[in-house]
Amino acid sequence: MLGSRPGQRGRPGQRRNSPALTAVMTLMLIYTLLPLAWLLISSTKNTPSLFSSFGLWFGNGFHLWSNISEVFSYQNGIYLQWFGNTALYAFAGAGGSALIATLGGYSLAKYKFKGRKLLFAIVLGAISVPGTALAVPTYLLFAKWGLINTPWAVIIPSLCSPFGLYLMRVYSIDAIPDSLLEASRIDGAGELRTLRTIAMRLLAPGFVTVLLFSLVATWNNYFLPLVVLSNPRWYPLTVGLASIDAGSTGPSGGIAREVYPLVITGSLLAIIPLVVCFLFLQRFWQSGLAVGSVKQ
Amino acid sequence: MTSRFRRLAAGAAAAMALVTLAACGSGGGSSASSSGPVTLTFWTWLGTGPTQKLANEFTKTHPNIKVNVVNAGRSQEEYTKLDTALKAGKGAPDIAQIEYFALPQYAITQHLVNLSGTSAASVIKSKFTPAAQRQVTVNGGIYAFPQDVGPMAMFYRKDLFKKAGLKPPKTWAQYAADAAAIHKKLPQTYMGNVDPGDPGTATSLMWQAGATPFRTTGTTHVTVNLDQPAVRKWASLWSGLLEKKLVTTDTGWTASWWHGMAAGRYATWITGAWAPVSMYAAIAQTKSDWAVAPIPQWTPGAHVDAQNGGSSSAVLSSSPHKAQAIEFLEWLDSSQQGAKQLANLGLFPPTKALLNSPSWLNAPQRMLDNQKANKVLAQAGDDVAPGWQYLPYQVYANSVFADSVGHDISAGKNLIPGLQAWQKSIVSYGNSQGFSVKTGS
Repeated sequence: MLGSRPGQRGRPGQRRNSPALTAVMTLMLIYTLLPLAWLLISSTKNTPSLFSSFGLWFGNGFHLWSNISEVFSYQNGIYLQWFGNTALYAFAGAGGSALIATLGGYSLAKYKFKGRKLLFAIVLGAISVPGTALAVPTYLLFAKWGLINTPWAVIIPSLCSPFGLYLMRVYSIDAIPDSLLEASRIDGAGELRTLRTIAMRLLAPGFVTVLLFSLVATWNNYFLPLVVLSNPRWYPLTVGLASIDAGSTGPSGGIAREVYPLVITGSLLAIIPLVVCFLFLQRFWQSGLAVGSVKQ
Repeated sequence: MTSRFRRLAAGAAAAMALVTLAACGSGGGSSASSSGPVTLTFWTWLGTGPTQKLANEFTKTHPNIKVNVVNAGRSQEEYTKLDTALKAGKGAPDIAQIEYFALPQYAITQHLVNLSGTSAASVIKSKFTPAAQRQVTVNGGIYAFPQDVGPMAMFYRKDLFKKAGLKPPKTWAQYAADAAAIHKKLPQTYMGNVDPGDPGTATSLMWQAGATPFRTTGTTHVTVNLDQPAVRKWASLWSGLLEKKLVTTDTGWTASWWHGMAAGRYATWITGAWAPVSMYAAIAQTKSDWAVAPIPQWTPGAHVDAQNGGSSSAVLSSSPHKAQAIEFLEWLDSSQQGAKQLANLGLFPPTKALLNSPSWLNAPQRMLDNQKANKVLAQAGDDVAPGWQYLPYQVYANSVFADSVGHDISAGKNLIPGLQAWQKSIVSYGNSQGFSVKTGS
């Protein structure tokens, strides 16, 4: 999706319309928007109309408001608590990981020290380990430290983002000319001051990109919090919504109640902050990715 | 997304089974039953609100025991958490809800308190049906309190059967014949749905066909035989229906499946006795169209049934308050007060008292057009065939069902190759986990 308009930057005015490309993009658009449309439309339905009307069109009556009020009143408003937890985990985790990735990426790119290549190779290797595979070892480690069932068990692992570090290293190489750093040093600025007043500013777009990546990852994180948290008070939205769903129906002793509109409307509300973040930070996201991919 | 996730989680859970097996023997320990007030943690996916209310009622009469009800995820999600906590030796609850198919896994690794020889065992023997007792018995020990059971029955659309001029089939041969007839008459309707991702129903139907594909002797010797006549009988019936496209292969419990249930896409749903409650929560608008009949038989006039679903509650060996936990479960699952309220919440009861109580038997089932369904379902419970066993690593086996048998189901093909593939992965996984697995006859 991104970077699908090569050459546009170099030769303005040479935009050509390609019907094939437009068709592919339209398909992509539909593919992306259909589930969202389903979610939006389904959240206006009550249970009977959810399972008797066509999925992509409105059913009998408009129940969005009553669904929303049901979401917020479920178990004395525990949904709001989950919302707050997710926000805490996402912003602490994403903010922290973006900061750490920026500092790490900058130093890997701009300082020459022993073991730099080895460190970088380890980071590259770490990218290929899926977070899910680490959830269980993480649990064992945190159990030793007594951090299980606390917000730290979710936030600390979120702070490490090998991909963010990799991205920031690539970005730093291109975004900060070495000559600029030399000039700063010659003028008598210390390393910290150079970092703060020069490097950080140049790195801002990259920082936001990593921030967005991590934000999405932590906002949607499911497996780690599922494993390390067993107090519903600390659940994020993902685990909380799944637990409402779990109490619904099925072959193994669920006490059935009408939870489908609850889960669907809860999911809709859960994605709104992400959509808002994207709309606001989108331009950084694009420029950030482009810089890493294009040699200047 | 969730189904992929569940499979992933199941894989992780299965991987942990190895570790728990290795840790075997470290369990047990002395039960330090303190006399002061204690708080028990109870992991369950019964609705947290109503279950907590029930637990509070227990505390009223047992002021020294408080119970904290926690929804730690359903089924495999909970097992993943449980496995992790058991491995770490920290964070496990005092009591956990465990389905019957997963019980052997935790029982043979000594993670659950063996109730044999205790007063709880005699309570279980006197209050629960023999079928329910068998479900919590592993390798001669009793490891949990039955909480709800799912003797199988055939839920069917009486409106569609009437339209097609058919009566509910009494035998599987009749079922297959009706499948052709009803689809011919009503092209939008299929006799039923075979969910490619549902090993539970598949194994239960094998059970009902008289199969015993899994056998465990002691704690490590496992025999797998998915190539026996009873399994082949089951496979040939469903292969035929699949190949002729007389049944659908939709994924269960999705919006489109419920849609099909409401719209009359499936004429029958052969499943556990818990079904009406689930249906009422989703498709109550069709309540006057549904009815229940006994499960079709392989031999005309026979009465053979199997269990599908249901779950138990077990006390963890690691709990420091075992005595109190057992006291609570005894109240919740077997006392008149507790068991009755669980039934009122919609669980199908495993206790003799309820199953024989006239008011329960004659209660109209609102989802089934007020039919006195409990009579049919209680009879189904009496007919459950003895002799079935689950694998001591059924959670893993179930997680790879979709990749083998499920694959053939989706493709509408003969199920035998899929069964062979499933057996192969069950055998090799078991051997890799330290079991000695044979393919037997």
